[in-house]
Amino acid sequence: MNQHLTDGELRASLDDESSVSDLHHLETCAECQTRQRQLQVQSQATARKLAFLNPVAEEPVPAAKTIWIRFSRNILTKKETSMLKRWFAFPVARIGAAVVLILALVLAFPGSRAFADELLNLFRVQQVTVIPVDYTGLQQLTGNNTLGSQINDLISSSTTVTQKPGDPVAVTDADQASQLTGFTVRLPQGMTPSEINVTGATAFTFTVDRTKAQALLDEAGRSDLVLPDSIDGAKISVNIPSAVSVGYGTCPKPEADTLNNSDSRNPARDYPDCVILAEVPSPTVDAPADVNVAQLAQIGLEFTGMSSDEAAAFSNSVDWTSTLVVPIPKNAATYEQVTVDGVTGTLIQRPSNDLPQYALLWIKDGIVYAISGLGANSQQALDMANSLP
Amino acid sequence: MIISMKKRKANAQEIVELEPYSSEFETLFMEHWARICRLLYRIVGDPAEAEDLALETFSRLYRHHPLPDGEFNLNGWLNRVATNLGLQSIRSFKRREHYELTAGKGVLDEAPESSPAELLAQQEEHRLARQVLAAMNERQSQLLVMRYSGIAYKDMAQALNLSPTSIGPLLLRAEREFEKRYRALTEEEE
Repeated sequence: MNQHLTDGELRASLDDESSVSDLHHLETCAECQTRQRQLQVQSQATARKLAFLNPVAEEPVPAAKTIWIRFSRNILTKKETSMLKRWFAFPVARIGAAVVLILALVLAFPGSRAFADELLNLFRVQQVTVIPVDYTGLQQLTGNNTLGSQINDLISSSTTVTQKPGDPVAVTDADQASQLTGFTVRLPQGMTPSEINVTGATAFTFTVDRTKAQALLDEAGRSDLVLPDSIDGAKISVNIPSAVSVGYGTCPKPEADTLNNSDSRNPARDYPDCVILAEVPSPTVDAPADVNVAQLAQIGLEFTGMSSDEAAAFSNSVDWTSTLVVPIPKNAATYEQVTVDGVTGTLIQRPSNDLPQYALLWIKDGIVYAISGLGANSQQALDMANSLP
Repeated sequence: MIISMKKRKANAQEIVELEPYSSEFETLFMEHWARICRLLYRIVGDPAEAEDLALETFSRLYRHHPLPDGEFNLNGWLNRVATNLGLQSIRSFKRREHYELTAGKGVLDEAPESSPAELLAQQEEHRLARQVLAAMNERQSQLLVMRYSGIAYKDMAQALNLSPTSIGPLLLRAEREFEKRYRALTEEEE
């Protein structure tokens, strides 16, 4: 081979990555050898600066066996998140922290019981009940693309958004927030918020297509769960008032579309001191009087993996006209009733070595309040709540 | 704000029971975990962040599970995803700032009394190098990270979907760009 090597070929030769023919030429070509030495000087300079990338030592890393347990949990969480995203993958859910929390429950257990036989049911949140749920049912569905398509189709074809909330609006104080939301926003005394955001009101209607909903259960392998004929065509209207969320510490910026955010990494390191207070007047849900919400709730609970008897017992114990039902993961979170802001609230805590969390929920004068944060210091939430004017 | 609450809600769904993963994936995890975690540690310089990123790498792999037969290049895939995640991480100003502070503190804590200046100079060089890698175009920074992590040209080519013979020229160009940016950054900081 008479042709001299290119700079690229010479660079490869420095890493012993030359072809046999290139190597042979290099061994006999003084000119190429000179150029190779020049390139070597340049490469060595880069190599020195990037020496930290060189695996010269076996850096200690956590044992694979230990990490496997964490990994398993991590995956499981994402799978559940993914399933939840499917359930809530429509615009109305993109409205704000408190609203998302409430909406989840409204959609999971829609509606209410009859106030008047001939009128629509009216659901309005007055109290909170926590239910530990085993998510076995949902786990088994992950990866079922047919089911995912069915869920998307059911929601998109049955839901009409009548009022969009728009993007969150940043405000500077409680007065501005009150003006925008239309209710008196209360902020903890002696604390300076890092940001205050108001999300607009939203409304949507959901018309039940029993055939599609039943097909969804069938696809999920739960043909034993039979939806009542009476729900077919039932029109459920949901109105969620304007809400405010107040961040303390370093918190992530609000975005209108969070559901497609695939970054599921642990936020604890980025926002370890972030505490969020959310306030929203009770959403209202109108449903036809002949919709038996307790029965639907029982089906929903059985779907998640609860036994029929347990689901029936819980469903019949709840006043669905006024109760915000908060599902928490069985065996992974605890809850207790606490006195807060002059009323009885619910403190939910998820102990964890790497990412403990807490959420404090209470309802006062028709407003739903939620304070959530990372870490085990739930006392901070109680102090904040008790300092509200 | 919304993101945070959603993440909390998602995390609140966590349950403690482990899913019965296939033993095949568990074997794969055990085999590659340490190598990927070390690769990420060297890229980002922060053990906790490296661990998180390594977990994210395997989470993404799990989404491909079961892996296709035949042509799937597992090593190349893991190298590429881990490298990209590491580079994304050091591109984040906030995180980089955190690592720099953490790494600097570690050096001082561990430095023998006789040589803190030398260690700090080295640390400073690494800080600038990470900063340059973060600012370069993706392909060039991938090449440099993989090459200086000891990955062979053949594996780099597979991971980056390039011809093995193109690695030398591309690497040379990446090194020149790196040196140019490094000089500019050094002058800027002086």
